[in-house]
Amino acid sequence: MLRFLGFRLLRAAVTIVMVVTFAFVVLRLSGDPAQIIMGADAPPEAVAAFRRAWGLEEPLWVQYLRYFGAILGGDLGRSMRDGREAIALVGERIPATLALTVPALLIKLGIGIPAGITAALHRNSLLDRAVMMLAVAGFTVPSFVLGLLLVLVFAVQLGWLPSGGQESWKHAILPIVTMGIGGAAVLARFTRSAMLEVLGQPYIRTASAKGVPWRAVIWGHALPNAAIPTVTIVGFMVGSLIAGAVVVESVFSWPGVGRLLVVAVANRDLAVVQCILLLVAATMVTANLAVDLLYGALDPRLRTQPRGA
Amino acid sequence: MIDRRSLLTGAALAAGLPRFAIAQADQRPAITIAVQKISNSNTLEPLREQSNVGERVLITSLWEGMLGRDYGRELQTIPVLATETRRISDRVVELKLRQGVRFHNGDELTAEDVAFSFGNDRMFGPGGPNSSATIRVGEANPGRAGKELPIEVPAVANRSFPGFERIEVVDKYTVRWVNRTPDVTLEGRMTRSSAEIGSRRGFAEAATWLDWARKPITTGPYKVAEFRADHSLTLVAHDEYWGGRPPLRQLRFVEVPEVASRVNGLLSGEYHFACDIPPDQIAGIERNRAFEVQGGTIPNHRLTVFDKHHPLLADARIRRAFTHAIDRQAIVDSLWAGRTTIPRGLQWEFYGDMYQADWNVPRYDLAEARRLLREAGYKGDPIPYRLLNNYYTNQTATAQILVEMWRAAGLNVQIEMKENWSQILERTPTRAVRDWSNSGLYSDPVSSLVNQHGPNGQQQQVGEYANAEFNALSVQLETSTDRAKRRAMFRRMLEIAEREDPAYTVLHRNATFTAKRREIRWKAAPAFAMDFRANNWGA
Repeated sequence: MLRFLGFRLLRAAVTIVMVVTFAFVVLRLSGDPAQIIMGADAPPEAVAAFRRAWGLEEPLWVQYLRYFGAILGGDLGRSMRDGREAIALVGERIPATLALTVPALLIKLGIGIPAGITAALHRNSLLDRAVMMLAVAGFTVPSFVLGLLLVLVFAVQLGWLPSGGQESWKHAILPIVTMGIGGAAVLARFTRSAMLEVLGQPYIRTASAKGVPWRAVIWGHALPNAAIPTVTIVGFMVGSLIAGAVVVESVFSWPGVGRLLVVAVANRDLAVVQCILLLVAATMVTANLAVDLLYGALDPRLRTQPRGA
Repeated sequence: MIDRRSLLTGAALAAGLPRFAIAQADQRPAITIAVQKISNSNTLEPLREQSNVGERVLITSLWEGMLGRDYGRELQTIPVLATETRRISDRVVELKLRQGVRFHNGDELTAEDVAFSFGNDRMFGPGGPNSSATIRVGEANPGRAGKELPIEVPAVANRSFPGFERIEVVDKYTVRWVNRTPDVTLEGRMTRSSAEIGSRRGFAEAATWLDWARKPITTGPYKVAEFRADHSLTLVAHDEYWGGRPPLRQLRFVEVPEVASRVNGLLSGEYHFACDIPPDQIAGIERNRAFEVQGGTIPNHRLTVFDKHHPLLADARIRRAFTHAIDRQAIVDSLWAGRTTIPRGLQWEFYGDMYQADWNVPRYDLAEARRLLREAGYKGDPIPYRLLNNYYTNQTATAQILVEMWRAAGLNVQIEMKENWSQILERTPTRAVRDWSNSGLYSDPVSSLVNQHGPNGQQQQVGEYANAEFNALSVQLETSTDRAKRRAMFRRMLEIAEREDPAYTVLHRNATFTAKRREIRWKAAPAFAMDFRANNWGA
């Protein structure tokens, strides 16, 4: 188990280093932050001064070594826009994003999994077709379209909810629902497929033939086995809690990490972008690690034959 | 949310009730304005925030200079915190300050505040004016943690006031602006963004430069209550305002990046104003009689810019062909619903006696364009056109139309999409044609033609253009005080940069549009600045 964990941690560290390196190189090769942050009409002297001040005239490898050294020392750099520490800027936005993504995740789980199970248990029935039709609609409509649609209905036409902003709990409803619907639809589809596959397995037939009550077959045999692919998807969803609301935050003017990322990328605010990517990578890697451990809990065979080890 | 009744009541209160009413419950309306961006730099300090979007929230509501512009009319220079100016010499201007002006912290404006505002602490840094010393962030200068100025502030200040030497305090209400060199544009420069006055005590009491820059103490009719970077800015009435009690209790700018979201918020009643409305949305919004779209041209012209060092553009005749192949009116009619105009070259009416009323952009003449290309021996080789995706309103559609217009003349122009300005300006052999816009920052051609295209302007600094005669005239235009000669020089510079050896060609005036509830009686300024002073509310 320790070896398994050690390998996973090493792989996670390599992944994070690769993400950070890739972001560093791409961001620097695709535009000069000085010109972008200072704007099209900035005096050349101001652009030059900015470039010198932030060490952007040095060779890329020197900048990279300096950046990496600073990271190892716990310094994630400062925003080029206002000079504040990148980690503080990002940290301020995390609660706002979690205020959307956590309730949205609960909606996804609370609606998606039961809907998928129900559809599978009533395969080819009217209920199954209705659930799947809604699921297909849910995950094929882009979130910005769904968001605007909800705003048109509930804010513009009915006037029940605000169209954007972050002033009260009411402002969070539409963005949460927008994210929740799409995710629930995905989960419903995956859960249904996984359940159908499991329900066709010989051990389900055997359990039924032995006279095990159908409810016990479902809870005791079908659900745990069907949970593995679902847990994988849920793992991805948990991993995207930090920066999984980029589009929705823009549509609803919600000042979270996603909005910060968009602004920071557009401005080539290097330290902030890299700080967010680092956090996202760390969250994703941690979620994947947790998923791997859950696999072992769900399927005892995987405890003795760790995947990828 | 406010309704018609509260709006009118608020306006009436602001205009008519005596001062003691202030102590009673404040009946003035509070309004919310949805904008695409509040501040690019996340600060409210004009020396750092040098953008159009910044002008909207900073000018007239928050910051004021000794001289300013008449936003109710045609942007002419008007006295603001100064009541009179007097030329002592060709390099010294004396200004009498308005008495009884109160800062947001209650202090009275004095000459010491003016000296501070143009001093090293706020503007030029320890090196003083014209210092080129560089301090690295992270070494001697730890970012913005202390009172050190961001590195770009002195650069902007030196650029804005290139010959500045010092402010002399004559008495409590009199200052003298002393320049190192003769400059006929000094009064004009005092109206530009960067020349605003802040409180010396306010700056001293701020813990850091960033604290100051996010809550500056100024003299404007509204003061900062809360600024949440990338999200919202809340201003509240400064009831001691020298120009009369502000008509609004609170002004709240919220950042709503998506156009559809801004419009939806306006329709649902959450926002009273929605800014940055694209022209193609105007008809849709005004279909509802409760709303209207105001606004129009701003002192900013859209240009097509040439790199004369590109092998195919080295011949001026090819660049001239570009300028004659553009049907500018067709662009204005089709993409701007006719709600902007074509200016007379890179100049503005508020230039006063420097304005060349008989000048014009090159006429649309396909035959002339084809003749020039024939003479130049152009064989149809591709000419790259570096393009950003709608950095400017209608930019991509305009580019597609331009390419077809140029094709009709025989020019083979190829669009290359770029992501940012750095890629647009990158000095490589493929740089040939690009978009730009230029502003008239104050009432003199130095503010545009010299600043942007002269020897120290961006176009020459990035290596796109140079012309010996144009450059010599630029220097003379900046230093000469003979107005008749200056007018002739400006004329000659326009001839060079727009006709003989084109550096750019002007397409049209830029415009900005603001949607609002029709019942709100407010008039958009011919600029980005939004004026919420008493004379522009409920009048």
